[in-house]
Amino acid sequence: MMSAEKKHMALAICTGCDIGNCIDADKLTDAVREAFDGISCISHKSLCSEAGLEELRKFTREKGVDRLGVAACSPRVKTAEFSMDGIYVDRINLREQLAWVMEPGEEDTQMCAEDQTRMVLAKLDTIKENTPYLPEQVYSDVLVVGGGIAGVSAALEGAAAGYRVHLVEKSDRLGGYAGRIYKTPYNEIDLSARTSEVMSHPGVEVHLETSIESISGEPGNFFVAIRNSDSATLKVGSVVTATGWKPYDPDKLSALGYASPRVKTLEEFEQSVQVEQPPDRVLFVLCAGSRDENHLSYCSSYCCGAALKQALYIREKNPGAEVYIVYRDIRTAGFQEEFYKLVQADDAIFMTKGVIKSVSDLGNEVEVVVGESLLDEQITLVADLVVLATGMVPNTTSDLKLQYRLGEGLPELEYEFSDSHFICFPYETRRTGVYAAGTVRAPMDMEMSQEDGAGAMMKAIQCIECVKRGEAVHPRAGDMSYPELYMERCTDCKRCTEECPFGSYDETDKGTPLPNPARCRRCGICVGSCPERIISFSDFSINSVSAMIKAVHVPDEFKEKPRVLVFVCENDAYPALDAAGVHRLRYSPFVRIIPVRCLGSVNKVWISDALSHGYDGILQIGCKPGDDYQCHFIHGSELTEQRGENLQETLETMMLEPERIQTRFVEITDHHEIQEIINDYVEELELIGPNPFKDM
Amino acid sequence: MGIIKPDIKFKRELGRLSGSQLNQCMQCGNCSAVCSLAPAERPFPGKEMVWSGWGLKEKLIGNVDIWLCHQCGDCSSYCPRDVKPADVISAIRHQTYLHYARPRFLGKLVSSPAWLPVAIAIPVVVIMAILSLAGTFKIPEGPVDYSAFFPHGLLNSTFSAITLFFYLLASFGIVRFWKDMKRLTPPGEAGMKKFPIARVLGEILSHSNFSGCGSQQLRKIAHMSLFFGFGLLILVTLYAIWATITHNYPLPFTNPFKIAGNVASLMIYSGLGIMVFQRLMNRSVFGKSSYSDWLLLAAIGLLTLSGTLVELARFGNWSVAYHLYFFHLVAVWFVIMYLPFTKMGHIFYRTTALLYARSIGRK
Repeated sequence: MMSAEKKHMALAICTGCDIGNCIDADKLTDAVREAFDGISCISHKSLCSEAGLEELRKFTREKGVDRLGVAACSPRVKTAEFSMDGIYVDRINLREQLAWVMEPGEEDTQMCAEDQTRMVLAKLDTIKENTPYLPEQVYSDVLVVGGGIAGVSAALEGAAAGYRVHLVEKSDRLGGYAGRIYKTPYNEIDLSARTSEVMSHPGVEVHLETSIESISGEPGNFFVAIRNSDSATLKVGSVVTATGWKPYDPDKLSALGYASPRVKTLEEFEQSVQVEQPPDRVLFVLCAGSRDENHLSYCSSYCCGAALKQALYIREKNPGAEVYIVYRDIRTAGFQEEFYKLVQADDAIFMTKGVIKSVSDLGNEVEVVVGESLLDEQITLVADLVVLATGMVPNTTSDLKLQYRLGEGLPELEYEFSDSHFICFPYETRRTGVYAAGTVRAPMDMEMSQEDGAGAMMKAIQCIECVKRGEAVHPRAGDMSYPELYMERCTDCKRCTEECPFGSYDETDKGTPLPNPARCRRCGICVGSCPERIISFSDFSINSVSAMIKAVHVPDEFKEKPRVLVFVCENDAYPALDAAGVHRLRYSPFVRIIPVRCLGSVNKVWISDALSHGYDGILQIGCKPGDDYQCHFIHGSELTEQRGENLQETLETMMLEPERIQTRFVEITDHHEIQEIINDYVEELELIGPNPFKDM
Repeated sequence: MGIIKPDIKFKRELGRLSGSQLNQCMQCGNCSAVCSLAPAERPFPGKEMVWSGWGLKEKLIGNVDIWLCHQCGDCSSYCPRDVKPADVISAIRHQTYLHYARPRFLGKLVSSPAWLPVAIAIPVVVIMAILSLAGTFKIPEGPVDYSAFFPHGLLNSTFSAITLFFYLLASFGIVRFWKDMKRLTPPGEAGMKKFPIARVLGEILSHSNFSGCGSQQLRKIAHMSLFFGFGLLILVTLYAIWATITHNYPLPFTNPFKIAGNVASLMIYSGLGIMVFQRLMNRSVFGKSSYSDWLLLAAIGLLTLSGTLVELARFGNWSVAYHLYFFHLVAVWFVIMYLPFTKMGHIFYRTTALLYARSIGRK
C-alpha cells in the first residue's frame, strides 16, 4: 500500500457529462481509498460549475491538498478551471476516453475507470517537486545576422521593444539585396530611411564587415564570437537569422540562351539599366527556371513584379522601345495587382502566355521561339535583349557557425529553405532560440520580408522571456520541467546526444553528454533513448510511468479480461482519441491509456515492466511521421519505428510473440480510425492468447 | 505563325476607336466563353483580343470571325477587366473597310469628321454640274414639278455610272478580302462546300444570328425594320426611275409604290429611333458609338427625312420644294455611292464573310 499522508493527495470525481451514468462513483472512491491510505475524496455532479469549483476549492483548502487528481473530462478542456495555485493537478479522462466510448454500467468499464484513476494517483504519488531551470544569468540582447530588409526590420523592432540589438552584416553597408535595387515603385518601403535609422539608433549596435566565428551556448546564454578588424564576443539571449537569398544560378539555364551576351538575368539588368540605355526590343522570360522540376519547383513570388517593374524602366529610358513579356502566369499577389494594371496601361508592353522553345542569338538580335502561346501555337519573337526572370535560392545558414553537434547551420528543409518544420510557427527553426526571417526561410518580396523581420524578432524576444521564467518556448510553451540527468550512472553511450532532434546536448571528447536545457523542447526523446534510465523530468520519469503501469490490477484469467497498455502521444494521437469520444465511437474497455510527451519518449524498460506485470499487449499510437512533419518533435515517431524493430527481436528471445507490441500512426484528424485501431488490436491479441508471464 | 512584329500604331488606333485599354485584357477567355455565336473550335473574340493587344493587323483584317459577331455586347458586359471586346471587334470591322478601300482616299473621306465637308462636296459639285449642263438654274413657277427643274435622265445615268464605278473598285477589295480569309482561316480537311447562298440568304433575311445574340430582341427588330425598309425603298426607287423613263412620273399618292415607299420610310424611322435611343440610353451594353456609327445613322435619317419632305413639298406646293429635292439627292448619292467604304459596307463584307464561313463549315 502506498501512502498519501505526506503529500496530501486528493481525488475529485465529477459525475456530470454522462460519467455518473456510466460508472459507480462510490465504488470508484472505495477502490481508490483501498489503494491509497488516507486519500481525501470528493464527488460533485458538475465539478466545473461555479458551485462545484467553489466546493472543490474549499475542500482542497481544508484538507491542505497539494496534489490533486481530477477524474472528469479530458485534460484538453477546462484547463483553466482546474488549475489551482500551489497544487499539482492531473486529470483522469473519464469522459472522452471512458464514459463516451465504453458500455455504461458494465463491470469492465468500472474496472477501467478504477485502473485509470489509480494510474494517475500513482503518478501523483511518485513525481518530484519541480525546480525550474533558471540560469544564473540570462542575456536580453538579440543578435540579428544579416543587414538586409528583414534584418533591419528585426533590429528596429527589437530596439523599439527595449531590447538591445547587435546587427551583424558581412558586407560594408546595410540594405542587402534590396539596397542594390534601382527603383521600388510598388511598395512604400523607404529602405535608406530605415537603414540610416538603424545606424543611428542607440539601441542597435551595427557591426559592418563582420563575420561570425562561432555561436555557442543556449537560449539566454549564447556566446557569439565575431570578427571584423578585431575580435569580440557578444553575449545574447537569442538570434534572428536574416541572411537572405541569391538568384538561381543562370549558368544552368543554357536552354534559355544564357550563354549569349544578349541574354541577362533580372539582377544583371537591374544593374545595367542604371548605367546604359536599354535597346529597342526587350523580351522578358518569366519563370526562367522556376516552377520547373528540373530547376526550382517553387514560385519565388517576386520575379513577376520585378520584371513588370523593369519593363517600365525600359519604357522610361527609351520611349520608343517595345517590351515583350512571355509568362506562364502573371503572379502579382495582393496589392501588386494594382501595379500590374499600371504596367498594363502602357500599350508598348506586350504580354502573352507561352512556353519558351528556343532562344538563338543571331549575332545582332535574338530570336525566341515561343510555343503554346495565346497568339498562336508557335510564334517567333525577335528582340535585342532577353531578360530571364530567375527565382530565389536561400543563402546558406552555415555562416552562423553554430557549435552544435548537428551542424553549423540550420537544417535545410523543403527546397533548401531554413523554414520551421511543418508543425511549428513561422520563424521557428529546429534550433531553439534561433529564428529565421525573410528570404532565407521562404521566397518573399520586400514588404513580406520587412514584416518577417518584425515577426521573427517578436519570437526572439518571447524566447528570452521564457528562458528568464524557466519555461519551455514551444511547442510545450510554459512547461517548467526539463530533463535532469543522473550523471553518476551515465555510460557515455551517446544515445541521448545522437537522438535529440534539437541538438540540446553537446558532448565531451569522451562522449559524455553536456545538456543545454534552454535549447530543449521537452519532448522526452532522451528519456526514451537512455538504456541506463538516468534521464527524467520532474513529472515524467522512468519511475512515474512505471508506477502508473503497476497501478493497474491485472486479472489472472486472460479469457475474461485481457489488458492492453496504450502509450498515446499527447500531441496528435491523444486529441484524436478525445475526438473519437466526442463522436461516441465505442472501443474496448480493456485498454489502459498513458499519455506521453512523444512516442520517442517511451523507454524500453516500461515495455518490460508492462509485460512482467502481466499486460497481454502494448499498443503505441503516435503522430504521423514523414515529409510533412506531423510529428511535433521531428523524428519521434520514426525513432519509435526503429526502436520497435529492436524490441521485437528482444521479444522473440523472450519467447513472446512480437505482435504483442504494435505501433500505429494517426493524424490529429483521424479520430474515425481510433475505434478500428484499438478493437482490431484487441481482437488480434485474443487470438495470440494470454501473456505467459501473467501468473509469474 | 512566323515572326511576330507588333504594330503599335494599329493597336493604338483600335484602342482609340473602341475606347478600350487593350492591355488591361488579362487573356482569361471569358469573352469567348459567354459569346453565344462563337464556334466551339478556336472561338472568338478571345483570340482577337490577344491579337489586338499585340497590334497584329495582318491577323485581324481579313479575319472571318470578326464578321460572325453581331455585336450583342455580352462579351463587354461580362469582361472582368472592363475591356470592351465588342467595341474592339467593331473597330476592327471599321479598319477592314479602310483597309480594302480603293482608292484609299474614299475610305479616309468617310471615316473622319475633318474630311466630311469634302465627302459632301463631291455629290454637291457633281449634281450642280449636271444642273448647269442642263441649264435649269432658275426655279420654275407654278405647281411643283421636279422634272421641270431636275434633268432626271442625266442625273440617274450619271449617278448609276459613278456608283457602279465605285462598286467595281470595291469588288477588288472584296476579292482580296476573300483571299485573306482563305489564307488566315484555311478550309479544314473536309474542304469547301459550294457557295451556300440560300443558307446565308436565309440567315440574313431571318436575322437568325441576332436571335443567337443574348436577349436583345429590340436590336433585332430595329435592324429588321431598317433592313427591310431600306430594301423596299430601293425597289421603290428603281420603279421610280423606270417611271421617269416611261413618263408616268410623278406618281400619285394612291400608287401602290408610293404607299410602299411611305411604309418603308416609317419602318426606317422606327428602326432608327430604336437604334439611336439604345445607343444614347444604354451605353454600357451598346458600347462606344464611333463617328462612323453616327455618320451612318445620320445619313440614313437625313436621306429618309428629306425624301418625306420632298413628297410633302410636292403636294403642298412649298416654295422650298426644289431645295429639299436637291438636298435629298445629295443624301441619296452620299449613302449609296460611299456604301462600300462606310459602315454600310457590312452589307458586302458580312455577306461575303458569312458565305466563306459557312462554306468551310465554321459556325
